[in-house]
Amino acid sequence: MKMKKVMAVALSLSMAMSLVACGGNAGSGSSDAGSSDSGSADAGSSDAGSSDAGSESGGAKQTDGKNVPELTTDDMTITLWDIATEEPNKSTQEAAVARFMKDYPNIHVEQIHQQNDNYKQQLVVAMSSGKCPDMYISWGGGPMAEYYKSGFADDITDLFNKYDHPDFIDAAVAQGTYDGKVIGIPFGSLSGCDVFYNKTIFAENGLEVPETLDELEAVCEKLKAAGITPFALANAPKWTGSMYYMYLVARHSGNEEFDAAYTQDGGSFTSEAFLFASDKIQDWVKKGYFPDGVNSLSPDDGQDKQLLYDGSAAMMLHGSWMAGSMAADSQEWYDENIDVFRWPEDAEAKAKGVPQDVEIGTAIGNAFNFCSKGDQAKLEAMYVLATQYFNDDQYNKEQMEHLNTPSIKGYDAQVTDPCMKKITEVFFNASNVQLWYDQYLPASVTEVHKESMSALFGLEKDGKQIGEDQDKAMQEAIADSK
Amino acid sequence: MATKNDNFSSLANIRKKRIRLAATVFLLPTFLLIAVYFIYPVIDTFVISTYKWNGISADRTFVGIQNWVTLLHDKLFWSAFGRNVIIMVFSIILQIPLGLFLATFLEQGGKKYNFLKVIWFLPYLMSSVAIAFLFTYALATNGGIFSSLASLFAGKKVTVDLLGRSPHALFTVIGVMAWQYTPFYMVYFLAGYGNIDPAVYEAAILDGATRRQYTRYIAIPLLGPIFKTACTMSLIGSLKYFDLIWNMTQGGPVNSTELMATYMYKLSFQQFNMGYGSCVAAGMFILITVIALLFQKVFVVKEDY
Amino acid sequence: MRDKKAKQAKGPKKTSVAWTIAIILALFWMILTLVPFVFMILNSFRKQFDMLQQGVFHLPDPWYFKNYTDVISNGFFGYFLRSIIVVAVSLVLMLIISAFAAYPLSRMNFKFRELIYAGVVAMMSVPMHVTLIPIFKLTTDLGMYDSLKALIGPYVAFALPMSIFVLVAFMKTIPRELEEAAEIDGCNRFRNFFTIILPLSKPGLATLAIYNGVAMWNEFAFANTLIQSPSKKTLPLALGQFKGEHALDIPIILSVLTLSVLPMIILFIVFQDKLVKGMMAGAVKG
Repeated sequence: MKMKKVMAVALSLSMAMSLVACGGNAGSGSSDAGSSDSGSADAGSSDAGSSDAGSESGGAKQTDGKNVPELTTDDMTITLWDIATEEPNKSTQEAAVARFMKDYPNIHVEQIHQQNDNYKQQLVVAMSSGKCPDMYISWGGGPMAEYYKSGFADDITDLFNKYDHPDFIDAAVAQGTYDGKVIGIPFGSLSGCDVFYNKTIFAENGLEVPETLDELEAVCEKLKAAGITPFALANAPKWTGSMYYMYLVARHSGNEEFDAAYTQDGGSFTSEAFLFASDKIQDWVKKGYFPDGVNSLSPDDGQDKQLLYDGSAAMMLHGSWMAGSMAADSQEWYDENIDVFRWPEDAEAKAKGVPQDVEIGTAIGNAFNFCSKGDQAKLEAMYVLATQYFNDDQYNKEQMEHLNTPSIKGYDAQVTDPCMKKITEVFFNASNVQLWYDQYLPASVTEVHKESMSALFGLEKDGKQIGEDQDKAMQEAIADSK
Repeated sequence: MATKNDNFSSLANIRKKRIRLAATVFLLPTFLLIAVYFIYPVIDTFVISTYKWNGISADRTFVGIQNWVTLLHDKLFWSAFGRNVIIMVFSIILQIPLGLFLATFLEQGGKKYNFLKVIWFLPYLMSSVAIAFLFTYALATNGGIFSSLASLFAGKKVTVDLLGRSPHALFTVIGVMAWQYTPFYMVYFLAGYGNIDPAVYEAAILDGATRRQYTRYIAIPLLGPIFKTACTMSLIGSLKYFDLIWNMTQGGPVNSTELMATYMYKLSFQQFNMGYGSCVAAGMFILITVIALLFQKVFVVKEDY
Repeated sequence: MRDKKAKQAKGPKKTSVAWTIAIILALFWMILTLVPFVFMILNSFRKQFDMLQQGVFHLPDPWYFKNYTDVISNGFFGYFLRSIIVVAVSLVLMLIISAFAAYPLSRMNFKFRELIYAGVVAMMSVPMHVTLIPIFKLTTDLGMYDSLKALIGPYVAFALPMSIFVLVAFMKTIPRELEEAAEIDGCNRFRNFFTIILPLSKPGLATLAIYNGVAMWNEFAFANTLIQSPSKKTLPLALGQFKGEHALDIPIILSVLTLSVLPMIILFIVFQDKLVKGMMAGAVKG
């Protein structure tokens, strides 16, 4: 019975992940239908919306003329947890709340910025004490499912279908959906995962952007010969190394083998693509394509950027937030030296007809989950806050300024930063965006996966061993949810 | 005769009662605080350890001793415990002698070395966040102190990867811990020296002992009880160690610095496995208490003058 | 050569060889403790990009002071003040309560003494994280959530077992005759405690003040769990302002850390003499 549920989840997730608009078919079909009429209206009227907000005369609200629920006129307090402790996110998100409270003065939003490092712990503490915040940030995937199953995340499918909301890209809606129900409203930005490279070094060494894995290896060899480490990887937190693993698997087998391994129904983490990825990585480690002591370097301490900045490494596979991060460190250096290319194709697999346009990343970025404890009026207020004030034009404009691309249709065309432009294009041309394994897998499997990445790059276990470890964890997780 | 005896015993009884009363009054605030902040959480932990629970949901399933059976066979837990024991042993043999050495040096050297006291104490004042950051850089293969020094001596680029590989990482962390905690034991032993009755010193000097002889043959042996508590603190501290490890390695690479506390934390707060996480915590509590109490029994020092 | 010299030098000179070695070791340890500290300060005067590009072990070039002005203009002094209040109150309470408890445990004979002492050791073994949820519940039930008061209870309670344990050891070394003499003079145990035991325990109390003061000053987990409004947060939470999901400004964080450690250093310089003087000062007075 429960097994069925897991299967259904897996199916609905993987189906919904597909970026190509899957119209009103299965799974998240109903929500799609809803988004296609109300959402496009929002995108279309975006200019009108902003002029509304600009001329704040009388009791005009930002939501006037929109199809949104009539909100209560009674006093109400909403507690909101985010992780915007630092600038510029802090200002952007506080401003969104301020706009909401200006339009609805009877509703007070208590906005609390939690620290990202301990956020999940805070949430567990609050939920287990019955003090779950009314709305809170999550990242979709395994944890969001856990919150939903435990009754701390409301099903908002009805609101979502009935009322206006931004025209989110389908993959974002899908990642905010669990078991066919809409649970999360995206408000962060989409993140692709591509290779940042130092174009100055490439030019100096006469290198071309590689399009296949063979070409990539050739580039690496030339860089090695020039005394430059090919990849700037800091693998201490392990999800960074996982990016290489995920891409090698995706290029070799599309989504097929991962999906099969995820359900453990005839598939396995020891299947061909996984072994291919592991062997490739270990081969590269042995050839010195990664920095020495790769497992001790930490991206939180900027040690991967450091390798790029001081010129000792030439390429870095990373999430697209790195663009903003590097630009914030030094816009000048970033403009001068950094460009981006998508992860090269696997020519052999391509010849066999394996799709080469499965990309890794997240469409949802951050999502709001709601815990109204049955208070419909509150839920409606939160829905309006999340869809009309977060995600409004002002909010999105500020997001774009900081090199974040909102998960809303149409914004991809407005990206101006050259790197972000390429990343967004790759993202939107993908047939499927696979969510990071470490967010997608159940939490217990995530831990094993991460340790596997550490063992893989440290040459302590081979592909077969880490595959077996991950299989075992996955099987236990499936058995557990029975 | 008989009356005298009775008198004695009733006097002794009164004395006993008085002592009991005084002891109760003195201990009362501690009892209250411990009851509120320790007893309830500990009982709660043992109760949760008999459930299968994700930590947040309203419903949890009673599973009896199943978690405990798993714990007994959990390789990850026992290897974490093993690493805790290694850390414990090395902490005691590094931090305490070093701390004693530094304190003795200051005790011998007198006022003119007071500046050293301050400098030596700096590491203890820094938070684990700062220490983790500075050492990640100092140990980095790219531009870290050790790699740079090694390259300097070798005359070519050499990388010393102390944090990125299995056996080394644990010992590196032990080194950083020693760096962080030795200053505390220095201060502790200084206080121990300060606690010795000055009459003892005067008597020794009158008997013709030099200051050095006094320290070696009289003062250090008198530190006995202080020495024992220092070892106990180091022992318990290493067995429940969390902060620096969490900030530096989060248990990696490949579990090589995973300790009981980090393992428990991951299970309880990151993997939605509060039931088993509590079981690990309870197991940890039992192990540490038993080891600490055994140590108290085995390591006997002369405690009274 | 060296051997010969060592043999020739008898008595006092032999110890001066030992002293030389000790000094060399002492200087070596000084370098070890000083280097990371100096780099913390130096890097707090740099821009993140410069730090990463030039390497961490490089002098600031150019010197960059904006980190400090940013930190200070972001309400640093408020954090600072609140930390001082919480630590001072908790520390005083903790020292009094633990001295109270250590006195009967070290110097009186009564039933259950050993058991209580064992209980104290057991409480030292409690992993801090298991208490997070119960203490959070307790704090919200008492209506103290999100106030500085909420921190004092856990700070005092968590420092207690270790402090009692240490103080018992210190109090045991106080000669029994002193107390007996006082008893003959008609002092009761409470007066004994305040006039004899407490003054003579000064070195122990000072050590505990340092040990726990630093721990409370840097405490993160409880503060992060029990306090949410920026206007109530303590220093260790100030770091969060400069740390995001994917963003981290290391030099600014280092400048916060530098500013937070400075008052501790000053206090230590001021009070370090008390550590050694305790007993002697007390004995002279008595």
